[in-house]
Amino acid sequence: MASNSAPPMLDKEQIMGMMEKEMEYRVEMFNKLTQTCFDKCIEKRHKESELNMGENSCIDRCVSKYWQVTNLVGQLLGSNRPPM
Amino acid sequence: MASSPDSSEPTPSPSNSTQAEKPPIEPIRLPTVEEIKGQDIWNNCAVRSVVSGVMGGGLGLFMGLFLGALDNPLMQEEMSAKQQFIYTAKQMGRRSFSSAKTFAVMGVIFSAAECVAEKARAKHDTTNTVVAGCVTGGALSAKGGPKAACMGCAGFATFSVLIEKFLDRHD
Repeated sequence: MASNSAPPMLDKEQIMGMMEKEMEYRVEMFNKLTQTCFDKCIEKRHKESELNMGENSCIDRCVSKYWQVTNLVGQLLGSNRPPM
Repeated sequence: MASSPDSSEPTPSPSNSTQAEKPPIEPIRLPTVEEIKGQDIWNNCAVRSVVSGVMGGGLGLFMGLFLGALDNPLMQEEMSAKQQFIYTAKQMGRRSFSSAKTFAVMGVIFSAAECVAEKARAKHDTTNTVVAGCVTGGALSAKGGPKAACMGCAGFATFSVLIEKFLDRHD
């Protein structure tokens, strides 16, 4: 997320609104992350019900990369305020 | 277990839908840290290879017992029945021990190689089995020189792939 130059929050509603937005953003990111890594790492033909080791390490790597990409894109969007 | 995507039941028939027959829908429950750690034990390469080695040792023990029992003593006519029995028992013990060692080593090497290959590639394939079979066959026949190692590699890799396909089809 962009770095907040925090204006003083006057009323509770603004804070609640921001928290709601933050919560929605996090839920959206969780859903997208799960969907992306599931589509990428798990084969379509499910041969067994447990995750095998290859899928496990694939999911580990997928989540780690997704998180890094999110942070990196957030930083790039936050720092470059004037449009490119 | 993987997280359940949704917990809704399929719709019941519209004929008798007077009262709710569906079981109560449970909320989505993400696995706890203990559950994840408990499943993670099986993802550890060292644990897997040790367990495989122990299983291989057990298998080798039984095979050695069986094969040792079939072995007949050389001087069969001169020994009494009790001597024959003692000889056969000793033979069985010796062969089962050496066979157990061989199979245990084979199990450890195969399991470790397959685990490392699968973790590195992050894919569940038969290529992992081929690599692991080649490494095991090469390691077991490395004493005979490079050519023997190559033949051992190819032979054991083929054998492992066949066994894997056989086991998969059985499921």
